[in-house]
Amino acid sequence: MRQTLSDVLVELGKKDPKILLLTGDHGYALFDDFRRECPNQYINVGIAEQNMVGVAAGLARTGFRPIVYGLSAFVPIRVLEQIKLDVAHDHLPIIFIGDGAGFVYSHLGTSHQSTEDIACSRVIPNLSVYSPADRFELTQCLMAAYQEKSPVYLRIGKADRGDVHQLPIDTKPGKLIKVRETRKSKYSFIATGSMVVTAIDVADKLNIDIDVWSAPFIKPIERLTVEEICHNSEAIVVFEEHSKYGGLGSLISEISSSSYPIKILQIAVNDCFSQKCGTYEYLLKEHGLDFEVVYKKVHNFLPSV
Amino acid sequence: MKFDPKKLRKTVLDMAYVGSTAHIGCAFSIIEILSVLYKNHLRYPENDPLSKNRDYFLLSKGHGVMAQYACMHELGWLDDNAISNYFSDGSDLKGLSDSRIPGIEVTSGSLGHGFSVGVGLAMGAKLNKTDQDTYVLVGDGEINEGPIWEGAMFAAHHNLDNFMVIVDENGFQAMGKTQDIIGLGSIQSKFESFGFDSITVDGHDEIAINKAIEKLRNSDTKKPKALIAKTVKGKGVDFMEDDNSWHYTRLDKESYRDAIASINEGDV
Repeated sequence: MRQTLSDVLVELGKKDPKILLLTGDHGYALFDDFRRECPNQYINVGIAEQNMVGVAAGLARTGFRPIVYGLSAFVPIRVLEQIKLDVAHDHLPIIFIGDGAGFVYSHLGTSHQSTEDIACSRVIPNLSVYSPADRFELTQCLMAAYQEKSPVYLRIGKADRGDVHQLPIDTKPGKLIKVRETRKSKYSFIATGSMVVTAIDVADKLNIDIDVWSAPFIKPIERLTVEEICHNSEAIVVFEEHSKYGGLGSLISEISSSSYPIKILQIAVNDCFSQKCGTYEYLLKEHGLDFEVVYKKVHNFLPSV
Repeated sequence: MKFDPKKLRKTVLDMAYVGSTAHIGCAFSIIEILSVLYKNHLRYPENDPLSKNRDYFLLSKGHGVMAQYACMHELGWLDDNAISNYFSDGSDLKGLSDSRIPGIEVTSGSLGHGFSVGVGLAMGAKLNKTDQDTYVLVGDGEINEGPIWEGAMFAAHHNLDNFMVIVDENGFQAMGKTQDIIGLGSIQSKFESFGFDSITVDGHDEIAINKAIEKLRNSDTKKPKALIAKTVKGKGVDFMEDDNSWHYTRLDKESYRDAIASINEGDV
């Protein structure tokens, strides 16, 4: 997924000389190709995220297409007000890439872990929020963000959980993508980012008819599709590596409650910080997001399993 | 005469009275700075506030926006109704600067934003190889904000000599004197140590302000510029000068009349 990110950035940069890649001294080897291919379009702003977003806003006003890169704990969380006032307020077409979302930085602790970014960003008017699950969705999200005339926050979480799709996909903002289709599904799973793989794995192990949807676009999201899913399901499980407050689960609940109210189980992060340090898998377990615990929760929730 | 400081201050008073608004003292300290900028330096081809080739002026201390409205009224960008209906229901002009108003480049009120956006505009002008200049007006209290100094380092590192920050050093911020809240020491020294060409000037002396801006502009260094304007909060109305209560106090009929009289009788 990270190589895809690099490849698409290079492709965009070479195609459009107005693309400028700004980083707050993050990215390490990720930008080696971009720096080599588009050396005059790369700006390391230094460890100064607030200034980085303001500068990006100024550059966008003069006709450039800034792509602002940071860890999601910093972009968008640290710079939320700059995104709101300097960028979103004026529909400036800036792409914010928040890398390492969720518990990717499992050993580093709270400062680098990010489970509140969707909630914070989706409430900002004019700002879209994308959350791809694999390299194919990432490509579509980046290309769609480039086409947008308003800012986009692109959330990148755990990047090495494997492909969800077999082949490149063709989608557009708002669309949910069915990644597991069954003949007569009573239940539906909706997942985003790193948790799409988990949702598919749980559905496979349950071995019953369950449709699984990936939601690479949190905002906008096709309300009608969500309503149809609610209408056609007896219960829904929503999976995300994000707080249970304000993320995809909240969004689906908001839509369901005003259209087809049904039972919804949120597989998400509880309202707490990580207590311990360890591998990514260890952190998932601490937060009850590892496969075994998730499977039990879902199994107990679905009435007829 | 366009941009006459007395007339600008009266426009501010008219707005503040009809809208029953605060921030009068904050607007009065920057009147001469704005007068000089709009009169002599800011280039708006065909008097179009959205002209592609305009210079950029960013009022980062957005609470001084009535002073900018007064100038925009002089330019014909705001009509008499906009002034006389200030703060009426459904009106456009807010108490803090809003970029949706043509002529206002940045949405401010939350401080420390305009500096970085201005730095980005200056860099964009450089990359586009235009001769546009960018001016950002900040308050002295505003430079408590960290992004100001992030932006200052960035501007100097990238040799943005088309960027000028003007500091309204009136010695006050919302809750008191700057020296009692966060002592600023020498603002000129601070910007010089960050890599700026810098001049300190009497912020109510239009000739001195003009000369200082020209001198900074004509500097043969590649450094960004900083003009430190020593000003008086509430300047122009005797009972408002250096009285920080006029950061918040609203005018009544009597104080409005007295303020107008003070301007008529005063030297500035």
